Amino acid sequence: MQDLRTLMPHSKADTKMDRKDKLFVINEICEIKNCNKCIFFEAKKKQDLYVWFSNSPQGPSAKFLVQNIHTLAELKMTGNCLRGSRPLLSFDPVFDQEPHYALLKELFTQIFSTPQYHPKSQPFVDHVFTFSITDNRIWFRNYQIIEEDAALVEIGPRFVLNLIKIFQGSFGGPTLYENPHYQSPNMHRRLTRLAVAARFREKQQMKNLQKLRKKEEKTVIPVDPTENVFETPSEEKPLEIELVKPELKVNLKKRKKLFQRQRKGQKKLSRVGV
Amino acid sequence: MSLHREYDTIHSAINHLFLAKLGTNETLIHPYAVKKMADYENQSSSESESEESVITDKELQAAFSRGVLKPGLNVVLEKHQKALNNVDGLKQCLSEFKQHLAWVERLDVTVGQAPNVMSSASYPTPDKVTVDPEDDFQREMSFYRQGQAAVLKALPWLHNQKVPTRRPDDYFAEMAKSDQQMQKIRHKLKSKQEAMEKSEKAKQLRALRKYGKKVQTEILQKRQKEKATVLNAIKKYQKGLSDKLDFLDGEQTPPHQGKKKGDSGQQIKRGPSAKRRYKNQKFGFGGKKKGSKWNTRESHNDVSSFRANMAHNKGPGKAGKKGSNKRPGKKMRQKMKSRT
Repeated sequence: MQDLRTLMPHSKADTKMDRKDKLFVINEICEIKNCNKCIFFEAKKKQDLYVWFSNSPQGPSAKFLVQNIHTLAELKMTGNCLRGSRPLLSFDPVFDQEPHYALLKELFTQIFSTPQYHPKSQPFVDHVFTFSITDNRIWFRNYQIIEEDAALVEIGPRFVLNLIKIFQGSFGGPTLYENPHYQSPNMHRRLTRLAVAARFREKQQMKNLQKLRKKEEKTVIPVDPTENVFETPSEEKPLEIELVKPELKVNLKKRKKLFQRQRKGQKKLSRVGV
Repeated sequence: MSLHREYDTIHSAINHLFLAKLGTNETLIHPYAVKKMADYENQSSSESESEESVITDKELQAAFSRGVLKPGLNVVLEKHQKALNNVDGLKQCLSEFKQHLAWVERLDVTVGQAPNVMSSASYPTPDKVTVDPEDDFQREMSFYRQGQAAVLKALPWLHNQKVPTRRPDDYFAEMAKSDQQMQKIRHKLKSKQEAMEKSEKAKQLRALRKYGKKVQTEILQKRQKEKATVLNAIKKYQKGLSDKLDFLDGEQTPPHQGKKKGDSGQQIKRGPSAKRRYKNQKFGFGGKKKGSKWNTRESHNDVSSFRANMAHNKGPGKAGKKGSNKRPGKKMRQKMKSRT
């Protein structure tokens, strides 16, 4: 996630935090560093990444699950931009329709927009961050502006933010919003595992059942006299005799080569003739 | 009464079992019921620990008599926790921390997708609502178009504010991606393009070869046909059926055309001989030969050729054989040997 740092010149990094520390400590760190916004990455189980976006002293803050990360190192994204140039922020119109999205939009604009005339920033606007909402998730993309007629090339990184909760305070406080569509990755993994197990168990049961059925004696079904009432005798197929000679196969080989034996015989003959 | 909500349906048979066994042995009860039971006991906290089960039992019976409990298997309905959504709080919070800055500071744009883009003229423009999140291409396209729309909208504003959007060509600064990375990307693009070209070429070559082969077979077939017709004509001529020699123009002369010119008084043949015709009718050309000599059910069941008086060596032909066999059996011969 160094990529975000390269794209945001107005940021300061801090050392890693002890996992057991309370999250409120981050507020203090922000104060020491003289920051008023904070992005905190929290990796769990070496496979799930959570990220907090927070407005440091008073709040609000929002916790997301990050999915589908593609970094700048990916070779598929061919764009490039100045390090530290100011980005345009493009939001989906859905952001204005619901209050929690409106809050998030304000939070994102304050965090991601580089202040004008920031000493580390470049004076040009040459890339766009797009935040769009699809599937109840926020999809982040970063594009380079190539031409004035809005030809774009993706730079990266790209990721998907799945909102979990919005808190009133910074890293705490009462919950303002909770995403009903959110399913924790642990739960998701558990469900998939359960589904696989269930499928396996069902198969096993079916096998057992079939075994049992094979062992059982066959019940003798009494002959039903009306069984072949509706059977109609099928018409006999006429015997087909091909009376026209089939077309000859074309031999693509130019010359017919004799067998070795025949060739030798020919030689002998010619010798005798001489 | 929470019972009403808890026990929606209980099958009557199970219900009896449930009521009977409740105090003594819980393992017999359906697992759902046990779980439900525990829930229920937690709720009725006013009851004393020792009499809990009895009281619940009674309550259950009462509930059943009142008709609150219904027959059917009771399943725990997973109560969906209502997600919090404090709209007022959200709004208040938003108004509190909102910064009122000039647009130049914020640079945010909220727009839908670009209405019509020249590159995606043929592609059906997907509506924002209908974008399928599983369809990668469509989804990325929608994001791209949103970005485009934002750029189109924001660029005039930026020009108004006199914010530069293009860097001059002689402006060099550190980029977000290093030169090394960009080199890698370029290399990859190039190799991909080359691979595409190669595959395209190979495809073309293959098609060409196929076509060539087809043409060759056609030519050969034609030649064969021509030869056959010429030979036929020659044969006819030899037999005196025709005295036209126009098939010879342009063709080489047959080796012994003049030799057999005389014997034109041969009988005229029309079609194949009777034998050949019969054989054709019997065997045909080609067709399925495999299994044609096998027995079928009909042939197996056909016993018309069986003659009882001839079967099992009873026929007149074998009669003499019996008498002619003068050599005694082995045992007899051995006996005879030992006697002497």
